[in-house]
Amino acid sequence: MIRTRLAFSPYVAIAIAAAAVAAVPVLSPDRYLLKVLVYVGVNVIVIAGLALLFGHAGQISMGHAAFVGIGAYTSAYCVGHVGLPWLVGALAGTALAAAGGLVLALPALRLRGHYLAMATLGFNEIMYVAFREARGITGGGDGLGGISYPEVAGLSIDSPVGVYLLVWGVALVVLLLVANILRSRPGRAMRALHATENGALACGIDTVGLKIRTFALSAGLAGLAGALYAHSVGFISPGTFGLDQSVIYVAIVVVGGAGSLAGPVLAAIALTLLPYADALIPGLGKDAVALLQDWEADIYGIAMIAVVILAPAGIGGLLTRLRIGRAGEAHV
Amino acid sequence: MEAAEFLQYVIAGLKSGSIYALVALGFTVVYGSTGIINFAQGEFFMLGGVLTVWFYGLGLPVPIAGLAAVATTAALGILFERFALRKQRSAGPLVLVIITIGGSMVMKSLARHLFGPDELSLPEFTPGPSIDIAGAAVERQALWVWGLTIVAVVVLWWLYRKTRLGRAMRACSISHDAARLMGIDTARIVMVSFGIAAALGALAGFAVTPLTQTSWDAGAAIGVKGFAAAILGGLGNPVASVVGGLVLGLLESLSVAFISSTYKDAISLAVLLIVLFARPQGLFGSARREKV
Repeated sequence: MIRTRLAFSPYVAIAIAAAAVAAVPVLSPDRYLLKVLVYVGVNVIVIAGLALLFGHAGQISMGHAAFVGIGAYTSAYCVGHVGLPWLVGALAGTALAAAGGLVLALPALRLRGHYLAMATLGFNEIMYVAFREARGITGGGDGLGGISYPEVAGLSIDSPVGVYLLVWGVALVVLLLVANILRSRPGRAMRALHATENGALACGIDTVGLKIRTFALSAGLAGLAGALYAHSVGFISPGTFGLDQSVIYVAIVVVGGAGSLAGPVLAAIALTLLPYADALIPGLGKDAVALLQDWEADIYGIAMIAVVILAPAGIGGLLTRLRIGRAGEAHV
Repeated sequence: MEAAEFLQYVIAGLKSGSIYALVALGFTVVYGSTGIINFAQGEFFMLGGVLTVWFYGLGLPVPIAGLAAVATTAALGILFERFALRKQRSAGPLVLVIITIGGSMVMKSLARHLFGPDELSLPEFTPGPSIDIAGAAVERQALWVWGLTIVAVVVLWWLYRKTRLGRAMRACSISHDAARLMGIDTARIVMVSFGIAAALGALAGFAVTPLTQTSWDAGAAIGVKGFAAAILGGLGNPVASVVGGLVLGLLESLSVAFISSTYKDAISLAVLLIVLFARPQGLFGSARREKV
């Protein structure tokens, strides 16, 4: 029993993930694969935050791509125009996204369910217009290029392996942070809030404060992901931070399963890799990849509906069932 | 600004306002009988436009093509409710929101596969020069937009107020349980509501395509604006939705006249957020307290 419980503790899972992350560049230093894995790592950070907000606390956000955008543009502007060091720029991006989340959360979290979805969706659309029109800062619809590589203590991280390790290092720390929150008092409060808001109130949980803090944290993580994205890819444009992307984030958390962290993270990895399947399977033809990319939105949409109807607990539920199955065997 | 110029902006506002009103009515009809917000409403608008262009391409005259598009979209709306939503009715609003979001992704993407990624255009219903009204030019198509909106509103009013079906729909919007006790087949009413909402959205898409063109990705933007219009008036109230649509159209058009066209799209979004935050029951609604 003790062995099974240990085997599934999130710390062990994160340690295994860290080993896997470190093993990839040793096994295959393929530039394309590393680049794709950077996208995956960025999405894992966003999804960790959204899983906290949506999967655990039950508050939907259809505007997370906008927070990623705020982080990306803020960091790119601070480093490129103001000349601040990268770390400060990334922190500023994270802080501004969190502040944006706070400002949106104050009025929006009085709304529930579909009203909250519409309000956050409207916020995403407004930010999209702002990214496109505030040319002085964002470069407008053509995007902003030539963003410098991340730099820590005067050392530029400009190799594909370095960028990959940086993004995934941050992602693992974020996962550890989120796993810790979920295992402690705020995590329990979130689950209570998700189950029944009135019940949570009756237990003495400050539901309003909890929602606002969770929203701000979630938005901040999205901003951090944006800051990493901008500097590792070197180019950003409004299209990356539109409503479509927010919907994809929601789809990933749904497929991963509400109330789980491992599920959404696995879903983020699988669904982000989907359009870049050729990075994993070298023999895959260009046509097959083009087909996958062409049908990406359909796959997301159908997966989302199918999971909600057929397996509401998503991948996370599947993992739990596996775990219970194992524990049962241990008893026998 | 001269009077004629001002009038021109008002006419433009009422033109797009009518379209918002039709889309808002679609939101309201579904919300009224189910209490859910259908995030696929904008896609019905898109389907109305692209399907009309497709039927027209087959050689059908424009009015027949439009009717066929509206009927096809209504059928799609009914199928969507029947096969994706009905069994989940008892699940919370979040689940239903997710299903309609997934549905809109699939509809949008399938439209791109079937009808291509390009802008699609349709000839005006009655081609000809613009009509002069007190110095302002009014496109003939705008008259069609207004005419079709008025017809749709009158038919909807008649349906709600004068028919058995309409009475059943109103009963559903008050209480599903009570309606069922009175022998109303609520599942059928919900299905019909989706059909009507889809038809209203498609009608808007059909009417406006000669003016604005359309494409597979036209749904999201109009969906948000239609929702903003519905919430501005007060969700669930048909008359308020129409007023909300026209007011939103005018606000947008006058913001172009007096502020700038750059942020035109942000106006309706700002209206949406302000109304949601400050007065979620809308201009005409009365505050409802949630029972614990």
